[in-house]
Amino acid sequence: MAAARGHVQDPNDRRLRPIYDYLDNGNNKMAIQQADKLLKKHKDLHCAKVLKAIGLQRTGKQDEAFTLAQEVATLEPTDDNSLQALTILYREMHRPELVTKLYEAAVKKVPLSEEYHSHLFMAYARVGEYKKMQQAGMALYKIVPKNPYYFWSVMSLVMQAISAQDEKLSQTMFLPLAERMVEKMVKEEKIEAEAEVQLYYMILERLGKCVEALDVIRGPLGEKLTSELQSRETKCMSLYRRLQRWPECNSLAHKLLLKNPDDWQFYPSYFDSLFHLIDQSWSPPEEGEHCSEGSVHHTVAEVASFVEERILGEDGKDSRSLRGPYLARLELMHRLRERGCPEEKLLGDPLELMVQFFGKFGDKPCCITDLKIYLHLLCPEQHVQFVNRLGEAVPLGEQGDEGFAFPEDTKALQRHLCVCQLSRALGLHHALHPDGKLRLIAELKAHYRHGLKFGSDALKTELQFSDMYCLMAAHVYIDLWKETGDENMVWQSLGVLQEGLTASPSNAQFKLLMLLVYCHLGAFEPVVDLYSSLDAKHVQHDTIGFLLTRYAGSLGQFAAASQSCNFSLRFFHSNQKDTSEYIIQAYKYGAFEKIPEFIALRNRLNQSLHFAQVRTERMLLDLFLEADIVLSLEESVKAMSLCPEEDDIPWDTMRDNRDLTVFTCWDPKDRQLTEEHRRRSLEEESVWLRLRSLTLRLLASLASPGHTPPQTPAQQNSEKANENGVADEPPILGVLLSQLHRTLQTAAQMAEKRTQYPLLGPPATRLASALSSGSCQCQAAALQLSVHLQDLESAGLDESSELQTQICNGFQSLVVQLREILNKCKGDLLEMKGSKLKTRPSLLENLIFFVETVCIVLWTASHCAKILRPLKTSLQKKKKKKKDVNTALPAVVCGFQELTGSLQDLLTQALEYIKGQETGITALQLAGLSLEGNTQDEESFAKAAMDKVQSSYLRSLQEAGDLLKKRAETIKNLKI
Amino acid sequence: MTTLRPFTCDDLFKFNNINLDPLTETYGIPFYLQYLAHWPEYFIVAEAPGGELMGYIMGKAEGSVAREEWHGHVTALSVAPEFRRLGLAAKLMEMLEEISERKGGYFVDLFVRVSNQVAVNMYKRLGYSVYRTVIEYYSASNGEPDEDAYDMRKALSRDTEKKSIVPLPHPVRPEDIE
Repeated sequence: MAAARGHVQDPNDRRLRPIYDYLDNGNNKMAIQQADKLLKKHKDLHCAKVLKAIGLQRTGKQDEAFTLAQEVATLEPTDDNSLQALTILYREMHRPELVTKLYEAAVKKVPLSEEYHSHLFMAYARVGEYKKMQQAGMALYKIVPKNPYYFWSVMSLVMQAISAQDEKLSQTMFLPLAERMVEKMVKEEKIEAEAEVQLYYMILERLGKCVEALDVIRGPLGEKLTSELQSRETKCMSLYRRLQRWPECNSLAHKLLLKNPDDWQFYPSYFDSLFHLIDQSWSPPEEGEHCSEGSVHHTVAEVASFVEERILGEDGKDSRSLRGPYLARLELMHRLRERGCPEEKLLGDPLELMVQFFGKFGDKPCCITDLKIYLHLLCPEQHVQFVNRLGEAVPLGEQGDEGFAFPEDTKALQRHLCVCQLSRALGLHHALHPDGKLRLIAELKAHYRHGLKFGSDALKTELQFSDMYCLMAAHVYIDLWKETGDENMVWQSLGVLQEGLTASPSNAQFKLLMLLVYCHLGAFEPVVDLYSSLDAKHVQHDTIGFLLTRYAGSLGQFAAASQSCNFSLRFFHSNQKDTSEYIIQAYKYGAFEKIPEFIALRNRLNQSLHFAQVRTERMLLDLFLEADIVLSLEESVKAMSLCPEEDDIPWDTMRDNRDLTVFTCWDPKDRQLTEEHRRRSLEEESVWLRLRSLTLRLLASLASPGHTPPQTPAQQNSEKANENGVADEPPILGVLLSQLHRTLQTAAQMAEKRTQYPLLGPPATRLASALSSGSCQCQAAALQLSVHLQDLESAGLDESSELQTQICNGFQSLVVQLREILNKCKGDLLEMKGSKLKTRPSLLENLIFFVETVCIVLWTASHCAKILRPLKTSLQKKKKKKKDVNTALPAVVCGFQELTGSLQDLLTQALEYIKGQETGITALQLAGLSLEGNTQDEESFAKAAMDKVQSSYLRSLQEAGDLLKKRAETIKNLKI
Repeated sequence: MTTLRPFTCDDLFKFNNINLDPLTETYGIPFYLQYLAHWPEYFIVAEAPGGELMGYIMGKAEGSVAREEWHGHVTALSVAPEFRRLGLAAKLMEMLEEISERKGGYFVDLFVRVSNQVAVNMYKRLGYSVYRTVIEYYSASNGEPDEDAYDMRKALSRDTEKKSIVPLPHPVRPEDIE
């Protein structure tokens, strides 16, 4: 193939070609063979070695690959092939720092190579070595005086400023230096590109030199800012604001609004500047321009009439009216009211204005979103009047048999829907009595079904015009469920959503709400399909992945839980490598302002709460599911490279990336998600995560090999001192345990507060139920026992009767606690009461707490066994020597045998309970249920939901049972 | 009432209401970063007064100037359901065209599923016409057949004779397009 190209080529390229091809096609074995063949003939063809190493790396032979690569690297190659191949290899090995070494050597040998210097710069960029980047950029510029190289160096200074711990250093050294470097180019009139001006602006802005920045933007250099639309204007505006130059701010804002009265970003500046001018009693100069931007509107009257004029302009237009000016009037009114300005009256009556807005834009789906933020302008007594007024403006047809009148086109439908949405947002739905709510639901469902006729030919990727009625009916059902506890309401809410999905199979809101409701009912099985049909990918794992990971494991669907964690983990792990590549591209293309942004993105993802959670939960799950108690806990811990000393969670910089507004919600303000909710939720999540992470690290410390050989504490310490050169380090077990106890205290205080989140807001963590089930306390007690056992290990069995009694008491207490948790699982998970189907998901949650806690108790038991066995053997030997006839077992050994016996009993009981539940649930005759007052279709949709919950419960029980059986098997290994 | 501003990385955490639409692809982070690094001015997001993201457009400039193929390309355009029927997509397209004009492009082009009649009709209203059909351009994941795309174009002022939009007589395969 290479020969066919017919032009002169480096013969090595020709020889290497087949290896490249094999690697490209994923045929790594052949690549290795081919490389070996080539190396036999051409020993010094270094690149072949590197390509072989790539093959090895990709077939999992990392160590061999690394050795081979280093053989070549130490020769400090300067041929392109080797360098590029090594770069690829190191990147795949996640060792980007080695690439820098490679090119450092290469530029030493070939000091005038533009290419190698530029590779070196990029290699530094990949690892964020800003100072070296600055030097490499300048070195490049000296070899080849191209502007981009110079500005790479400048940008590297800015990055040093951004990353400096010491803000003073940034302000007094890095940024001023960067500024001087740019100024030099400006003076020499060497500024060429837009990116260079952007960078200059960035520097001045970060230095707080707003006046200078303004001069640049408004001057000839600013003329280069052409790519981004309105770039100069928005920059000027933000500088005027920072400089508090309110006349200019005001003047520029109204000029821009004159050009585009729909551009929302300038209204706030326009209004803010007005109020500042009033506060400063600003008045225009006697003669000449008001300010450098032109005329200023410095009275409420002027601003109000400007807004009114824009509205008149829209009213008189033939084309589509823009919402901007109309909303601006409401915004101005809102701000005037906030300031207590009587001039509010100038603008009119808010009710009339909103009615007018509705008249104009009520047929747009966003009308609710627009008006929602101004509803507080109405006083509560006006709410009903407002809704009635709007209702009058909705054209509906003749009343039908059921007493409902329907819209005759989609615009009327949208208006009618908007009135419903506004009623809900005003709290009018919530104020209804249950009967009223049922009537409302009937009306919403009738409108939903009627509206389907407008979308009879809709594709399955399109939404139905009337979908939102259906969603709202589901919301009202849920309100009723929460208010009355009538479980039929929740079945019907699932039913109506399922009905909605049949006509609108891609409606994400239907799926999200169903998913949430199923989770609240303790049924995770249906959630898997619903979530996967949302096709959430990549960053969405971070923003909405919590919907899966919060519930899967806690509801006993362990396989699904592992999978959900894996989806997220795969995304997070690719992030580090991915972002550095684009930081480099941003240098290449001069998108300097994006570089700090990309780095912030990388941090935001690395510090994600969800990332830390899935990391921790995934490992815990692996331990619960896979780790056997005898050997494999150790193996699993080792395989996860889990280290008890290491805490990799960024507690202080944790980012909550959850999208908590993903659910459509029209609830009134007092029921909506607040900042306080968000703050508390993050706090709660962090505490729960801390408990889980400490548990995980404590388990790891049980499994760490340091514990096995019996040693006196003195021996241990001296050995440690020799190994690490640090003596008297507090034992990790104790440190972690005291952290665990402290966290449990915090957790208990937090659980007492019982923060209630809106149903569509963040889900509560497992914290409160974990505490009330007693599982947290029992787990902590089990882990605590290992400390006493360590003491016993050094004291021996001879003279430790007090300690032994203490341990035995601990054993007994564990059994009591476990039994209590198990008692909290008892009861029927799903039961038929009369004609109603009742769920008790908290029993399932408690069962899972029991399962998790049993696993942990068994590991500590196995840890005990490991310590007790050698102690017992040595005691027997001693006795033999002394011919001691006393055959009584030491107390602790007896106590341990009792413990294993009781654990066996408890597991048997739990398995019996599970079996009983399985039989009971399977036997339920759901077909016999009837949901009063529903059509046959409605009933079948609701019953489908019941079937799903039933099936899901069975699956959870089965997974929990399987795990317990596996654990029960291992108890016999605990004999000593 | 809309704020149009450059798309930033933080918007990736807020765009679910737009991207949970079945026809809007959520790409891997690198894909967005590539656009942000190379063509930041072509990635614009619209924001509502309440802070909700309304929609966005993502595009690029590409093609050979010498062959008069230098043009703006629309990679993604999507508007959240509740912000439709406001003319937002048209506004975003207008901005992309304006940027392409400034860059001296000859035309703007885009690919759209042939089944997506709503979009095809909208682009037609905005002055785009089908330049060619690309066979099986969209690969289906769930066992359904791959779908064809229309390559639609609109000439910019630099292409005075509107040469760039003369339709091709035959459909092409994805591997034949540049």
